[in-house]
Amino acid sequence: MRKIAAIVGLLLCLAPIFAVGEFTTIEDLNGHDIGVQTAVLYEELIQDRVPDTTFQYYTMPNDMILALQSGKVDAYLIEEVSYGVQKKNHPELTVLEEPAGYINATCIIGENERQDRLLSELNQFIADSWENGLLDELYDYWIADFDPVNDTCDVSGFTGENGKIAVAVEGGYEPFSFISNGHISGFDVDFICRFARAYGYEPEFYEVPFEAIAPGVETGKYDIGMNIVVSAERNETGTLSDVYYTTPIRLVVMGESDESQSFFQQLTESFNKTFIREGRWKLFIQGAGITILITVSSILFGTILGFLVFMACRKGNVFANRLTNVFLWLIHGMPTVLLLMILYYIVFGSSSLSGTWVSVVGFSLMFACSMIDMLRVGCNAIGRGQFEASRAMGYSDGQSFFRIILPQAAQHFLPIYRNEVVTLIKETSVVGYIAVLDLTKISDLVRSRTYEAFFPLIVTAIMYFVISAIMTRCVTLVEKKINPRLRKKDKILRGIKEQD
Amino acid sequence: MIEIRHLRKVFDDDTIPLKDIDITINDGDVISIIGPSGTGKSTLLRCINMLTEPTSGSIIVDGQDITQRGCNLNEIRKKMGMVFQSFNLFGHLTIIENVMNPQITLLGRSRQEAYDKAMYLLQQVGLASKVFNYPDELSGGQQQRIAIARTLAMDPDIILFDEPTSALDPSMIGEVQSVIKMLAKSGRTMMIVTHEMDFARKISNRILFMYDGVIYEEGTPRQIFEHPQKEITKRFIQRLSSLTYRIQSADFDVEAMNDELSAYGEKLLIEAERLSKLSVAFEEICMNNIVPESGDDIDILVKVEYSEKLDILSMLVCYKGVKFDVTTSGSKLFQNLLAEPTTELLQTDVTDDPMGYEHMVTMRFRWVEE
Repeated sequence: MRKIAAIVGLLLCLAPIFAVGEFTTIEDLNGHDIGVQTAVLYEELIQDRVPDTTFQYYTMPNDMILALQSGKVDAYLIEEVSYGVQKKNHPELTVLEEPAGYINATCIIGENERQDRLLSELNQFIADSWENGLLDELYDYWIADFDPVNDTCDVSGFTGENGKIAVAVEGGYEPFSFISNGHISGFDVDFICRFARAYGYEPEFYEVPFEAIAPGVETGKYDIGMNIVVSAERNETGTLSDVYYTTPIRLVVMGESDESQSFFQQLTESFNKTFIREGRWKLFIQGAGITILITVSSILFGTILGFLVFMACRKGNVFANRLTNVFLWLIHGMPTVLLLMILYYIVFGSSSLSGTWVSVVGFSLMFACSMIDMLRVGCNAIGRGQFEASRAMGYSDGQSFFRIILPQAAQHFLPIYRNEVVTLIKETSVVGYIAVLDLTKISDLVRSRTYEAFFPLIVTAIMYFVISAIMTRCVTLVEKKINPRLRKKDKILRGIKEQD
Repeated sequence: MIEIRHLRKVFDDDTIPLKDIDITINDGDVISIIGPSGTGKSTLLRCINMLTEPTSGSIIVDGQDITQRGCNLNEIRKKMGMVFQSFNLFGHLTIIENVMNPQITLLGRSRQEAYDKAMYLLQQVGLASKVFNYPDELSGGQQQRIAIARTLAMDPDIILFDEPTSALDPSMIGEVQSVIKMLAKSGRTMMIVTHEMDFARKISNRILFMYDGVIYEEGTPRQIFEHPQKEITKRFIQRLSSLTYRIQSADFDVEAMNDELSAYGEKLLIEAERLSKLSVAFEEICMNNIVPESGDDIDILVKVEYSEKLDILSMLVCYKGVKFDVTTSGSKLFQNLLAEPTTELLQTDVTDDPMGYEHMVTMRFRWVEE
């Protein structure tokens, strides 16, 4: 406990070192590091004015606050609306007077058979909404007067007569899309819900990292991707709707801090925000459940698949072996995220398989590859002599393998198997990329709401640790159970009357 | 009865270990296969139970050609035991299970029946006290005796031994050989690939000498070991039983000869001390006396022989020119050697020798354990 307290103390001490008024114009920032969210392209607005600056890219908007506080960047670019939310939680932040520019946000429409129809319907809706003031009303409600605790949106009342539409939103991006009381909420969500009600659709929301929204929509995985900033390059690949909001982009720098709360108060407040408020602990449980589901299913299917493939290759069939080797080479040589994205957007792009099951497929494939390698290593370690001796006695090929080779090989590969299980558990943390709300993604989403790093990160780490510990323990039990050398004498002589 | 007709094996790398083998194995035969390394001895043995699939030819076991497709090899193999050079006991099973499990799985015996049989056989090979050990806890000799018991438990019609003592320390060869001898006496049909010539001679009724992928010469042990008919057999048998040197210059490489002597001694289990006595006698007689006396015309023939039967190591030295009376040697060390009761000396003159040698010295070294 004392250790944890020490870590907390350390993290809180990393607090802001400021230089008030160091930066007043955009040009002052030249040569300093500036943070920007991946794929929003705001850096293009000021690139010419700060030619010597290096841009640092962040996936989550709130990670940039931490980066600024810890001095990793000296400023970051964000839309004014998001800054407004951040300022509420971090009074020490301030902005340069001059905005970096303005953004026009649009929706991107998926390349599928409904594309043309959806585009015209959405553009019509946007035009109508500008005219009757709905968009201004929404802007005021969600952005200008945003209340993160009480603002809600109506996600019901869909007739669905024209079918379902898959909508990709960031999910960790207040006030546009975020998890509130366990449900998706925000400007983007509200807007699309109203559109869906008006045109007889039923929306399904997917929480996808910004950089994955456009590719996902372009492959037709999602029908609509939200909050796409207009740029020439994007217009070539995707089909964009008309602009549905405009907002200035700000450069955020460190201002004056206000540390009136005591250390203990901060800690309680932080715990409260992370777990108690809105029943967020349920999200953590749910995320852990998804992580366990993916891990256990992948281990199960991967083990079975790997074993079957190994058996098919065992007799040295040249074709089977070559095919397997190509697969091993492909899957082993690819970063996990890439494999998952290829499966999700390309292989299963047009199927309705959920992200969770696509992850299970991906990790099963990866685990099967490891399994094949393990079996190969284990069986090779046994040596040809054991196989020959059993065949020479009259054991069939199958009997030799299952009675003689496998029990010995298992002792060689089970320790590796245990490590592979742990590796798999940790690797599953990337499934957030394909809109799966696993433990890591939940932790990200909660952080994006609470602006707290400590509890979500530490608790997530502990949960992973516990899951790993339980799974390794299971493998160890199996290992002990099937270790022939740990058998008792009476088990060996089961059913036999010994001689004197 | 097993008939092998025109058996031929070509490996993937185009080497041909078996060119054309014809042989009939009768019930009760104990056949030893000898010959230089790499002449196909083990391949022949492995073809008989189809562990190595022959390229062509036929193997007829009790009227059935087992090289044909559709032949139930597992059934045939149950009747053929095989003992490997590297024992190949099943590492995850205890000794008793190694002998018991195949009987249960393959012959359908009850556990009790299999256990009783296993215990009986383990007693026979003297290892009943090790039943709960694992193979890697035993010495090589013990493992090989258990491998033999495991084979016997299957009640095979024939047992194939593939160099059963090659992987063993010299001190353990004896225990395994005596078990195999016991089996030979009990009338089992056996086929043994071995490099132990004396062992092959004692236990077999037929010897196959293999050379270059064919059975080069075949006969009884007496025919092969004492009266080989063909040239290569003769050379092989002789090289094994004796070492011959011809000294024709004073620069003769004594070191190389000593190395060969110790390798020879290791192979035939001759005590190092006895070999060093022979070495001392050789240097004193040949290098210190005959060579200096011979002037430029040096021609000495030295033959070293060991008789396992009589346990006598002997050295024969034939030379020309001035006669050297060995007993007049001035070396104190050599004189002591001559005085030992285990050393015998014989000096004779020869006439009409085809090589023209005139004098002969024979020294014999016996061994008495202290």
